[in-house]
Parts: sequence; C-alpha cells; structure tokens
Amino acid sequence: MKESLASRGIYIFLRLVIVLSAAMMFFPAINPARLTERINRNMSLFTSAVAYNSLISELGREINRGWVNETNFVILFISSLILCIGIGLTCVCGCLSVGNIKCKKRGNFFGLIGGATQALGLTGILISYLNMNNNSSDFERLSPMFPSGYFLFCGIAAVVFISSLIQIFLLRKEEKEAVFEIEAKYRTFLMFLPFAALLFVFSYLPLWGWRAAFVEYTAGMPMTMDDFVGFKWFTFLFNDPGTQRDIVRVLQNTLAMSALGLSTSWVAMAFAIFLVEIRNGPFRRFVQTLSTVPNFISWVMVYAIAFAIFSTDGFINSFLSTIGALDGAGRNYLMGDNLIWLKMLGWGMWKGLGWSAIIYIAAIAGIDQQLYEAATVDGAGRFQKMWHITLPGLMSTFFVLLLLSIAGILNNGMEQYLVFENASNTQRITVLDLYIYQRGIEKGLISISTMIGMLKSLISVTLLFAANKASKWIRGESII
Amino acid sequence: MFGKTKQERRDEKAEMQSANKRKFKLTVGDVVFNIINYSVFGLFTLLCIFPFYYIFINTISDNQMVSRGLINFFPEGLHINNYIAILQLREVGNAIVVTFGRAVLGTAVMVVASSFIAYLMTKDVMWGKKFWYRFTIITMYFNAGLIPWFLTMMMLGLTNTFMAYIIPGLVAPFNIILVKTYIESIPAELEESAHIDGAGLMTIYWKIIWPLSKPILATIAIFGAVSHWNSFVDSLILMNNAPELHTLQHRLYVYLNRSSNLAAMMQSGGGATTASAALAGVTNVRVINYTISMVTVLPILVVYPWMQRYFVKGIMLGAVKG
Repeated sequence: MKESLASRGIYIFLRLVIVLSAAMMFFPAINPARLTERINRNMSLFTSAVAYNSLISELGREINRGWVNETNFVILFISSLILCIGIGLTCVCGCLSVGNIKCKKRGNFFGLIGGATQALGLTGILISYLNMNNNSSDFERLSPMFPSGYFLFCGIAAVVFISSLIQIFLLRKEEKEAVFEIEAKYRTFLMFLPFAALLFVFSYLPLWGWRAAFVEYTAGMPMTMDDFVGFKWFTFLFNDPGTQRDIVRVLQNTLAMSALGLSTSWVAMAFAIFLVEIRNGPFRRFVQTLSTVPNFISWVMVYAIAFAIFSTDGFINSFLSTIGALDGAGRNYLMGDNLIWLKMLGWGMWKGLGWSAIIYIAAIAGIDQQLYEAATVDGAGRFQKMWHITLPGLMSTFFVLLLLSIAGILNNGMEQYLVFENASNTQRITVLDLYIYQRGIEKGLISISTMIGMLKSLISVTLLFAANKASKWIRGESII
Repeated sequence: MFGKTKQERRDEKAEMQSANKRKFKLTVGDVVFNIINYSVFGLFTLLCIFPFYYIFINTISDNQMVSRGLINFFPEGLHINNYIAILQLREVGNAIVVTFGRAVLGTAVMVVASSFIAYLMTKDVMWGKKFWYRFTIITMYFNAGLIPWFLTMMMLGLTNTFMAYIIPGLVAPFNIILVKTYIESIPAELEESAHIDGAGLMTIYWKIIWPLSKPILATIAIFGAVSHWNSFVDSLILMNNAPELHTLQHRLYVYLNRSSNLAAMMQSGGGATTASAALAGVTNVRVINYTISMVTVLPILVVYPWMQRYFVKGIMLGAVKG
C-alpha cells in the first residue's frame, strides 16, 4: 500500500516548503507587500493582510495630497490577503498529504489551487507596484522599493504548484478507498498542530528577538546584520561605569529581597501547623477563607490599599489625629526608602501567606493519624507532636518549594515593585525585572535591556536545572 | 457486638466517657496556647479584610466627612452617589467593558483550547507525543523575557488590539497539566466503549471527556478569569496608543499615580467636560480612588466565597504535578 519512493520524497519536501511559507508570513524582513519604505518595517505579510490601517498608517499625508492613489494600497492589501489565503490552502494540502490516497488526491487539488492563489496574490502586488510607478505624480517621494522577499514567495508558489502537479501523476490509482481517512497517529497530531503553531509564535519566536542584544537597535527599525555589534552590549554592561553601578545596585535589591523571601518561606508552614491546631471548625474555615482573599487581588489593588491606609490622609494618619496623637501634618509612609525591603516583604506576605499555607494544610491532612495517636499514648505533648510528626511530614513539600524559589531567585516579578516605586524609593526598590522594564520599555534602550533579560533567562534556567539535579540527588525525585 | 450484655455495654460507655474527659481536659498551658493562637489568627484575618472594609465605608459615607478624615471604623451619611458618578465616567465604563470582555472571552477560549490539548496529550498514538508535550510544558519554565516578547507582539501587529489580550493566553501549559492529570483519572473503559460504539475522537471529547472533566474545567476557568480580571502589565506595555483598550487595573494604576492631576482638573472645572460634569458631586480625589478601587475589587470579593472550594481544589491538584 506504500507510495513510491519518489512520491514520498516529494511529499516530505513539499511539507517542509509549506511549513516554511507559513512561518515566512510572520517575518517582517521578507514582507513581499512592503512596496515603499513608508510602510512600517515591522509589518509582516500577515499583518499587511489583516490590518489595512497599519498598512497605510504612515502614508496618510501622501494619500491626502494625491501623491499616490489610495486604490493601489487597497489592491496591495487585498493581494496580501489573497496570498495569505493561498498559503492557508497549501497548509490544507500539507495536512491532507498524511492521509490515505483519497485524502492525498484531494490534497493535491488544494495544492494546485493554493499555488495558483498565491500566484494571483503575487500578481496583484506586482500590479499595485507598477501602477504606483506609472500613475503617481510624485511617487519618488514615497521612496519606493521592490521587496526582497517577493521572489522567495514566487519560488514557493511555483514549487508547491509543480510538486502538486507531479504528485497527481505519481499517485496510485484509487483503489477501493471510498472514504477520507487519516491514520489516528497523524490525525491527533494535525489537531494539535494549530496549537503548536501558537506556542511557537508566542513562546519560541520571542527567542529570535534575542538578536536585538547583538545589534545596534533603533526603535521602529528592523534588525539587520549591518548593525551587528557582537558582544558590545555584553562588555558595555561591565565597562560602562554608570551601567555597572546600576547593575550592582539592582542585583543587590533583587538578591536581598529574594533572600528575605527565602528566609521567611517557613512562615507559611508555621501558619498551616498552627492553624490546624484550632479545633473550632467554623473559626478555622473563617480564617482560612479570609486570609486567602488578598491573593486574588492584583498588585495595583494592593497598592490602592497601601494608599488608603498609609498615605498622608490615609487610615493611620486620620486615626492618629482622631485620637489626638498626631501633631502637625500626617506622614506619608509610602515615601522614602527606609526599610523598603522589609516593607515589600511585608506586603508580599500579606498577599500570599494564607494562600501558600493551603498547600501545607493539604499535606498535613495527608499525614497518617495513627502517628498522632501513638504519640499521644506515649505521652507526647502538643509541641512535641508538631515538632516530631507534623514538621517531618511537611519537609518534602517545603523542600520542593524552597528549591523552586531558589531557582527563581532572579525572578521577583515586576508588578509589585512597579506599583510601589516612586522617586524617593526607586534606588532601593528596583529589581532586575523592573530595571529591564524601565530601560527597555520606558527609555527605549532595547538592545541593552534585551541583553540583561537574556542573561537573566539563561541564569534562571541553569539554576532551575541545578535545583532539579539537587532534588534528584537528595530525594531521588525530580521537581519539574 | 450483639453478644454483649447490658452491663458490658454500660462499662464500655463509662470508659469512653472517662477517656473523652481525659482527652479534653485542658491544662493551663493549653489554655494559654489557645488564647495566643486564636488571637494571632484573628488579628491576621482582621488585617486581611479590614482594608477592604475601610475603603468600602469611605466610598459610601458623606464625602465631606471623608475628606476631613473622620470615617475610620463606621460609615456615616450613607449614599451611593460616588458609584453613580464613577460609573458615568466614560473611561471607567470602557475599562469595565474591556476587562469583562477579555475575562469572559479569554477564559472561554483558554478552557476549550487547554482541555482539548490536554485530551490530545493523553493519546499515546499521537505522532511525536512526548516531544510535543515537552514542547508545550517547557514554555512554563523558560521564556525569552519581556523585551523580546514585546518586540514579537509588535511584529505580529498585536499591539493596540483587543486580540492581544486573548490569543497569547490561549495555550496555558499549567492548566494543560491539571486537565491532563484529571483526564487520566477517568476510567479508560468509558472511552473504549464509546470507541467501540463508533464514536470518533471529537465525539468522545465532547460527549465524554468534556462533561466528565467539568470540575477541573471550572477550576481552571476561575483561575483564568481572575488572572484576566487582574491583568495589568500587558495593558500597560501593549496598549500605548489605544487608551480605550486599557484594563480596569491599568485605569486604577493611572488614577492612583495621577490623583493629584485629577484633582487639579476637577477643581478648575475645565479639561474633560464629561469627567467634570459627572464628578461634580465628588470633589475628593481620595474618594475617587477609593471608589474605583472598590469597583475593581468588588467582583472578586463577591465571587470569592462561592468559588473558594474551586480555588483550593486547584492548588491541591497543582501540587500533584503531571
């Protein structure tokens, strides 16, 4: 029942080309629809085909003054859309090519149509380009260019069309297969494929953005290898005195706050151990329910609460003035960097303590009750039972969580510090994540902040693997 | 048990009672311990909920008294004008619609996608299953970082669009692990018998797996909805040129940061006319901040007590890794 070797070989090639073309839709550098330099450099073919407004966003003046006829851009937009649809059709061809003969035949049909559609779209783009050249009075002002990716797409359309055509002759005549059928092996995979594509785009494609760390990047421009500067930014981190000072300060904050968090991670365990000592069921449930509420509000909301309680006319000050203990104006406790690390730890605990305790409460429920009974018979007191039974029972959970937080020592997250940051405490509160945000997004220093972020990611993942190894070594079990 | 005489049973009962007495006899140490334990937990709980209460009473009390700092423990001069005024602010109304929209839509697609992927991942027959599972899960532990993510979103043209809130969160690895673990606990016979009866992959998913895994789907749905409702950073970074797409948390952040500016704007009476007209009755910046905070947090506070068991179930299952 197997197809001929040639047929299978061509199919593998065809599928690769199709996957490549689908990926190419998302790369701005080879956008075949970028006919003038006034079209944003960050537009990919896909964006050009779905967002007309972005396509002409920088061309409003030219169109209004009649330098160029807007119809050309409408044609360009529609052609891009047709090209994308063509690529979509060839994807269907690729999917069907893993099925039985009947599926394959239908797939070839899609391949032919898809290739033809792509050709149509590419022709449309060409027409738009030629039209603009001929009919626009001041076309030169648009700085026209012929997109480099155009021929690449032409090649792909041709390859898909021709391979589909060849397959029609190579495939066996239809035997008694009346129904479309794809093996379960490939059917399940095809169902997963769209999600794999999403994962690729949102989780793996950003890795491609790391190249920003090795170029001289200017916002809004595409990254090309002309701007390649190698490890300039890496050495810059260590040689530029200002940046070096910043990094040392930021690392100090990051490590200090992580260390504070680590050294208090037992508190959640203690919370759980003492909470189960409360024999009054309703009161225990009351505490457990309400102490977990803060975990479900955002950091912005936590800041709003901090504002309501600790700002100049917040609760503390108005209460003090009500009982007459306040002389003069109130203090704003949110200003200044006095004890800011401890304050941040405090807010973190306020938000997370009740929630972190739940996992320990569950673990305590899993401890064998007979141990406690036996201990009672042997005359153990409350604290002895806590120390000798409950605590050892929780150690493995504690250990896993501790290892994970050691692995995440550089990842404090930025939300908490972003909302609490102000001019008077920024020196002591800025952690690595926040620093990257400030540098990259607020100041637009893309390259250097990508470099810092990249180093952070690499160190974090190394730490995680080390923690995993440690766990395997000590407990014989992995944590990830 | 039936062979026991009355006397024996009476003896047994007496013994049990004395045992109980022994067990429940509190020593002085126990009493001290209990007092301390109960008060520490009571205090912590109070600490957790008092701020919400404090903000709430300040939003419904007489605004003059609030601005003089007289409302500390009990509300006075009840009214709901602040809420009416805030909800009439176009920005806030907009933010509520956007946030609610993304919470509903984003959660719905996330639950469907994650549960379907989890179901596929239980199928050993899938081509390269092990690889694709790792491909999915590894994204939980490793990411390229904030800036490359931002550059990618820009490249895809997702900045300043509503879809930027929905699509990236569609595949949620952690939730996939949760659902996968749950589906694996469903007896395989159910699926097999349906298969023998001629049900296809999709039919089995919709008719058997989906209904049976509803408890875990409810859990991930609630977690998803809460995180959508609380989301802030994506709005802050991606929606620079689309203020109409800012989420409620982002709006609150902006208000908190610019509360002094807002006060200035309203005292001058100029600027945004709609804002000043709607807020004519509300002259206190604090009250505005408090009211928006309350609007932001109220849905969670209202929903939370009913949903608590799902939250707890979520973290319990999360402890069992897939």
